[in-house]
Amino acid sequence: MGRLRGQHAGGAGAAAGPGRAGPGRAGVDTVCAPAQGGGSAVIDMENMDDTSGSSFEDMGEMHQRMKEEEEEEAEGEAGAGEEEDGEFLGMKGLRGQLGRQVADQMWQVGKRQASRAFSLYANIDILRPYFDVEPVQVRARLLESMIPVKMINFPQKIAGELYGPLMLVFTLVAILLHGMKTSDTIIREGTLMGTAIGTCFGYWLGVSSFMYFLAYLCNAQITMVQMLSLLGYGLFGHCITLFVTYNIHFHSLFYIFWLVVGGLSTLRMVAVLVSRTVGHTQRLILCGTLAALHMLFLLYLHFAYHKVVEGILDTLEGPNVPPFQRVARDIPVVSNAVLNTTAKAIALTL
Amino acid sequence: MSSFEQFHIDFYQSNYTIEDQEEGCNSYGSDKNPSINKILKFLVAELGINFEHIWQKTLTVLNPMKPADGSIMNETDLTGPMVFCLALGATLLMAGKVHFGYVYGMSAIGCLAMHALLNLMSSQGVSHGCVASVLGYCLLPMVLLSSAAVLFSLQGTPGTVLALFIIGWCSLSASKIFTSALAMEGQQLLIAYPCALLYGLFALLTVF
Repeated sequence: MGRLRGQHAGGAGAAAGPGRAGPGRAGVDTVCAPAQGGGSAVIDMENMDDTSGSSFEDMGEMHQRMKEEEEEEAEGEAGAGEEEDGEFLGMKGLRGQLGRQVADQMWQVGKRQASRAFSLYANIDILRPYFDVEPVQVRARLLESMIPVKMINFPQKIAGELYGPLMLVFTLVAILLHGMKTSDTIIREGTLMGTAIGTCFGYWLGVSSFMYFLAYLCNAQITMVQMLSLLGYGLFGHCITLFVTYNIHFHSLFYIFWLVVGGLSTLRMVAVLVSRTVGHTQRLILCGTLAALHMLFLLYLHFAYHKVVEGILDTLEGPNVPPFQRVARDIPVVSNAVLNTTAKAIALTL
Repeated sequence: MSSFEQFHIDFYQSNYTIEDQEEGCNSYGSDKNPSINKILKFLVAELGINFEHIWQKTLTVLNPMKPADGSIMNETDLTGPMVFCLALGATLLMAGKVHFGYVYGMSAIGCLAMHALLNLMSSQGVSHGCVASVLGYCLLPMVLLSSAAVLFSLQGTPGTVLALFIIGWCSLSASKIFTSALAMEGQQLLIAYPCALLYGLFALLTVF
């Protein structure tokens, strides 16, 4: 009973240490505990605080505690056996045995605390419910992400799912890589992949966090997972636009796709947010920010991404570049100045 | 070999024992030279390389329409995958590209990502070795693509179509094996898509 209380009194189980100080009593405690704790195998309800950030943390902690109880029962039986052997070694043997057992107990307590903290916060199982989807659901949500809702007077439902958004972000990375490859930038593969992954994931996670922060300020009814899901599905329009326009190089076609496809997915996200926000100013702030960021990101991916890469090649390889079909970056002032100073330096040395 | 099996005992009950291996080796080794028989026995006993099983798994990968037996992927065999990765690197080398590091790096990161995703999506867990084994075996059609890249350039419509076909083949095989091993019927498309993205990266490496 005391051991169970001690465990959940300290968040990381700090009180579990003193609970079993002294090897002489450790075996006794752990042997007696099941008899005492057997009655309180029922979960202590005051710890089930559903108003905490995530109920999955509580589930994880409960699961961990129950696992540890089973482990300690097993250890207690083994520990009792060991101590009986130690007593027969005489006084010297007993002191050595004592020291070893103290060290062993300290190590086990420390390890248990660390593994409990680790398994609670690094537990991938917390994300498990967000990946429980069927192909039909994913397809339906992809199509819905392009259809703006008309009813904005009561909150629209957002699927709190992470499989679809994650796959869309990876698809965007793949499309960006394909676009870079078709523009003949073979040499810088490693850097290109890092840049593509950084851009896409940075947008998804960064803008979601920023919008969640704004939503918190504007009192909108949306959670972080819902925001991630909404923005992730909004990238479907970006994927379609970039896939088409990286293969068919017409600026006018891109503008049409940007307005129609990008606009539809932005309208959908904006409508859902408006339905979950009260107050005109708040709605304006949230939706204006999201629309601006989303549309500008598509513009950035189409125009700046190729040129950024080509700019890197220009500045690193110098003027002796093979004749690709590229638009030259106009930084003539800098390169002229560099050329002039270099020429002067060489002339001086000669 | 016994400890190797015990490591995975939490996930599967493997019915693959060392006696079966030796009988298999004896059955096709007895009419050859006895020294070859000894070498095969040594490979099986000491290194766990069973050519019969490797051949069976290769045939399963090459025919994505045939339903897969869920138990064939119980033992974690990384010999076949390593051979296929080396073959991919070698065929890329013949096309003038030294990309061994990229192949290994992308395989490692892809295995980690697929392992995380499969653990999240399936009710029973899956080990790193199983994922690496399945993904490695399903890399075999990509070796065919890179062999084709040696003979003609894939940068064109026929090359793109061939690359898409090979990507579909690889991801279909991989998702078929994963769904039968993890009992995830109905979610084959959901597993096939991330596999297709991963093999698409390999195809990008091969084509460009």
